[in-house]
Amino acid sequence: MTAEFKNNDDINKLRNIINKKKDSNKTFITMCSGTGCLASGSGKVTEAFRNSFKKMNLESKVEVKTTGCHGFCEHGPLIVIRPSGIFYHKVTPEDVDEIISETILKSKVVDRLLYVNPSTGEKIIYEKDVPFYNKQMRILFGKNGILDPTSIEEYIGLGGYSASEKVFSRMSSDEIIDEVKKSGLRGRGGAGFPTGFKWDFCKKAKGDMKYIVCNADEGDPGAYMNRSLLEGNPHSVLEGMLIGAFAIGASEGIIYIRHEYPLAVKTIENAMDQMRKYGLLGNNILGSGFNFDIRIVPGAGAFVCGEETALIASIEGKKGEPRQRPPFPAQKGIFGKPTNINNVETWANIPLIINNGAEWFTNIGVEGANGTKIFSLVGKINNTGLVEVPLGTTIREMVYDIGGGIPKGKKFKAIQTGGPSGGCIPENLLSTPIDYVKLAQAGSIMGSGGLVVMDEDTCMVDVAKYFLGFLQEESCGKCLTCREGIERLLEIVTDITEGKGKMSDINLLEELGNVVKDASMCGLGQTAPNSVLSTLRYFMDEYEQHIKYKRCPAVVCKEIISSPCQHVCPIDTEAPLYISLIAEGRYEEAFNVIMKDNPLPSVCARVCSHPCETKCQAGKFSDPISIRGLKRFVTDYAQKNDLKYLPEKQETKKEKIAIIGSGPAGLIAGYYLGMNGYQTTIFESLPVHGGALSVCIPEYRLPQAILEHDIKNITNMGVEIKYNVTVGKDISFEELRKTYQAIFIATGARKSIKLGIPNEDADGVLYSMDFLRDMALGKKINVGSRIGIIGGGNAAVDAARMASRISSIEEASFNAMIDTAGMASRLTDFEEATLIYRRTKSEMPAFEEEIKACLDERVKMQFLTAPKRILVKDGKITGLECLKMELGERDDSGRKRPIPIEGSEFIIELDTLIIAIGERPDLSFLDEIEGFEVNKGDTIKVDTELYTTGIDGVFAGGDVVTGPNTVIEAMGSGKVVAGLIDKYLKGEPVERKYEVTRPSMFVKPVELTEEEVAEARRPLMRCTPIENRTCSLDEVDLGLSEENAIKEARRCLRCDLETEEGKKQFEPAEEVA
Amino acid sequence: MASFRIDGLDVEAEEGWTILETAKFYGIDIPTLCHDDGLTSYGACRLCIVEVGEGKNAKLTTSCTTPAQEGIRVRTHSRRVMNARKMIIELMIARASGSKTLQDLAVEYGVQSVRFKLKHDDCILCGLCVRMCKEQMMSGAIDFVGRGKDRRITTAFDEKSVDCRFCGGCMYICPICELRCQGPDPPGAICGSCLNMAPTCLDHYDDAQCFMAEDGCGTCVREPAKEKIAEKEE
Repeated sequence: MTAEFKNNDDINKLRNIINKKKDSNKTFITMCSGTGCLASGSGKVTEAFRNSFKKMNLESKVEVKTTGCHGFCEHGPLIVIRPSGIFYHKVTPEDVDEIISETILKSKVVDRLLYVNPSTGEKIIYEKDVPFYNKQMRILFGKNGILDPTSIEEYIGLGGYSASEKVFSRMSSDEIIDEVKKSGLRGRGGAGFPTGFKWDFCKKAKGDMKYIVCNADEGDPGAYMNRSLLEGNPHSVLEGMLIGAFAIGASEGIIYIRHEYPLAVKTIENAMDQMRKYGLLGNNILGSGFNFDIRIVPGAGAFVCGEETALIASIEGKKGEPRQRPPFPAQKGIFGKPTNINNVETWANIPLIINNGAEWFTNIGVEGANGTKIFSLVGKINNTGLVEVPLGTTIREMVYDIGGGIPKGKKFKAIQTGGPSGGCIPENLLSTPIDYVKLAQAGSIMGSGGLVVMDEDTCMVDVAKYFLGFLQEESCGKCLTCREGIERLLEIVTDITEGKGKMSDINLLEELGNVVKDASMCGLGQTAPNSVLSTLRYFMDEYEQHIKYKRCPAVVCKEIISSPCQHVCPIDTEAPLYISLIAEGRYEEAFNVIMKDNPLPSVCARVCSHPCETKCQAGKFSDPISIRGLKRFVTDYAQKNDLKYLPEKQETKKEKIAIIGSGPAGLIAGYYLGMNGYQTTIFESLPVHGGALSVCIPEYRLPQAILEHDIKNITNMGVEIKYNVTVGKDISFEELRKTYQAIFIATGARKSIKLGIPNEDADGVLYSMDFLRDMALGKKINVGSRIGIIGGGNAAVDAARMASRISSIEEASFNAMIDTAGMASRLTDFEEATLIYRRTKSEMPAFEEEIKACLDERVKMQFLTAPKRILVKDGKITGLECLKMELGERDDSGRKRPIPIEGSEFIIELDTLIIAIGERPDLSFLDEIEGFEVNKGDTIKVDTELYTTGIDGVFAGGDVVTGPNTVIEAMGSGKVVAGLIDKYLKGEPVERKYEVTRPSMFVKPVELTEEEVAEARRPLMRCTPIENRTCSLDEVDLGLSEENAIKEARRCLRCDLETEEGKKQFEPAEEVA
Repeated sequence: MASFRIDGLDVEAEEGWTILETAKFYGIDIPTLCHDDGLTSYGACRLCIVEVGEGKNAKLTTSCTTPAQEGIRVRTHSRRVMNARKMIIELMIARASGSKTLQDLAVEYGVQSVRFKLKHDDCILCGLCVRMCKEQMMSGAIDFVGRGKDRRITTAFDEKSVDCRFCGGCMYICPICELRCQGPDPPGAICGSCLNMAPTCLDHYDDAQCFMAEDGCGTCVREPAKEKIAEKEE
């Protein structure tokens, strides 16, 4: 069959023969054998199939075909059974027999191997229905899944080389170039120069010999689309080169390919041999008199050799360094001859354009960016893989529809396009269409098609540092701006990530970055600063956080954060220190470490939202350390053994300070002010102290006795609490100002927000804050037996979104709702409590353990439901008319927006409805006072750093400033304000000093035995049995046992020892010597 | 012959001339460092960059390597060029502050401080010595090794070269290993003891003025007349 093609008809004849031979009834399994699937073990699966077929004598009926990359690499090894198109993912050799016996022989689907759509939970049988595929347009990649890349006959059978046939028989070189020009094809390697014009330049250039080059030096980290094209469909690239050579008049073609792509080299070499056999390379191709051959030049892996002048130097056998253009390669290329260089993907587009015509091509994509582009979608994304889409597809479609969103429900932060030379595009530009111009406007580049998705746990300064580090290694070093410039950029960025940055560094980065971009010799230097410049443009606040506040918001930069748990604690609790002390059994020391920063430890050990655990490094690979549980253990131990922490109290000063509100913020501020010797008075409008701690958080989570125990710490500092005194009613604010030299407003946010639906004033409609307060104060409340609770993200929360702590705020409102539900379920008449939420459970921002506890306690949850109207009879509530919701398009936050379904009204019968959609501060006591500025959500406007209000000497903090928020955030502000009031009264400048996080001492790390490592697991808290919880206010969590506490503490990864300083602490003796 | 324009002046270049050669022929000053008339152009130090083209499509390119082309517009002292040159000089001095050649350039271009950490490497990898050795002395005893920040100049395998004839050509041509600048050993890296000759007109105009204004703008020595600037802006 391998007769040389003498003319164009020969190809057609062969194609007919091949297609006649094809048995359309034969089942064949296409087994993805791209790099990704090979790595996940597709080779073994193929072998298993072949062996089984042999054993079962099925070889004549079924065939396994190893193909190139299918693209859905995350789910490899992938197989598709054709012609039916059944799609199995993550196939192992153990699955082979079942697939043969069920699917091949009985045409039944093996359920467990089907792909499950993660957003709907629905199982998908056919490849074409997988959302990852059906949103794509795979004109280049389409054949990858059905084609055996080692066989030229298969390619010809599928219509391959028909474009060559057309070109050689019917088109002049000018016509070809014209067609390519008309198609608007732009270079796919990065710069996007119009291909047709490039060819034209080279064709018109004078020279006795011309070269064409296929640039397969794909070097971007995480990008592998060229590789997959070469491995999966080599002839499409080679055919493109053949046509290009004919059009330009080149006699020699070179494929410059990375040495690291051995499979691609092998496939291409094999494909070229086959071409030669058929006379598609060599002399007098297809009887046209045209001579052309291709050879491979392997590159040694230098990133810069992807740049065309460096690539030419490398082909010539010189050191791979670029030179200044002009002259351009089209004028002076390889050995001074005119040379045309195109990317793999560009070449692969050529046969398609010739076959289908320029007009067909211009209909794909958008104006100025025609055709499709293959991207490698990697990073923090569910569906890692290769994706081919029409240009102009938006980044949002790419990330959410094809990519399937961010794993673990994390928040999208940025996407890096174009590899290390590209820029980072932030969330608010998710609607940017991916084309050359729009990406450039956003400060990035198309590049060769790398897309790296980053989530909230990515520090953008660290990202800039990573890419600069890469480019510093890969810069050839020839030109000064690139070599010196990148090194200096990296030096400055590294300083910033280590907390040694200065604000002037930002200007310097910008200035230097622009010069490097402007004055460097080649594309590498000209794009190298993109990562810095784009992150400066979109994430300036992160740079500022690192420099000014020594904080890394994503908790990544080691030298700044030390241990994530300590770094994120609003009151600077040295968690790693007390954990390591517990591991050694030094409980009293651990207790002292906790007390040093927190006068309410037993309270926090129960109700803290533990941001420390959220960011715990142990949680990245298994469960986070139960830091709150360990604190609980130490405080329980201290109570049992009557341990006392006695800080030194300064001599009493003459200044008097008033604190309004005895909630967490007020109490901790009072504690530290009292310690400093100030005469401090807390004014509380209720008959009890603790604010939210006593009247919002239910007894079963925080027993009153525990609160009393901790309050003693405060009063021991000489702080006086005046009960039943409402400022503005019992004592005027002006009076306070006269008597007290400084005032701290910490009145919290305890006014429930109204729902704004008809009949809200009916009997039986309660507000969560009133309900919880009256319960706490022991008042009698009339509730029925069927209780509904409405909550969730709401208008108030949306308004508060400006505040940066959005997630914790939502969490806070949400927890109020869960608390309400929990409390309702403990009422004596309780029959049924239903929680009504307009989104779904996965969008619930409350702690998972609380939601779980709620479900355990027989609270029903009604998701995707919004209230419409309260039904009333005789002034009393009888039910709630609700609307069903569905999740619609994603908003800019990446969350799906709930949309009411029209006509879906239904009624929930209720005799009590508790509204818990959010709270606001009650600022009525400040009505007459001038000087305060009030924000939209009724919060007091303060200096975000210094908590100062418009009035001299008056500070405000806690929920009254942030809106409903967590206990620990309120305590954090109280602690800071105490320090600032001290400075204010001493006449020192009121300012805060920021330093990088470090523990006050280092404890020797423990060594774990292998057994311990194997069974290391987060212990479960002992809990009151569920049957005892209803109708009871007893505490649910019972704390860790000593044995479990030590085990858990020993599990700590000791991040504090990973800073430069920490590493030096316990170096092994021999290394020191 | 190519006719084009440098700094508003119509010039004509012989076949094969670069922009730099043309500018020199017409007496237009473009600073160079890694360029030497007897050696091939290299384009590594970037000091001789000029702005070619107009408006949005204007690009910076090294005049020592760019061939003179018909009809191009070249600006040798535009603000963009001068900003880049200043940064380039600052980067060089941060690497090798003892060079008098570099210190003089700093004075000429008004670079008054170095904001980077000082490295006393005494080599800016301009490659003059390498080309001198290869092209003039026909030896090739030294060359670049390494990539990126590890790039350095050395003999083959870091061993004493058999090709070296100790001609000293490399030292002769080096802009760094020369008589050390005699200024005070500075706390910052800029010596600055000589005169500051940087043109101040760039604060007001987009091009340096001295060589092109008919009546001499005089911004270097006195505040520009406000009307004049207003007039210009109109």
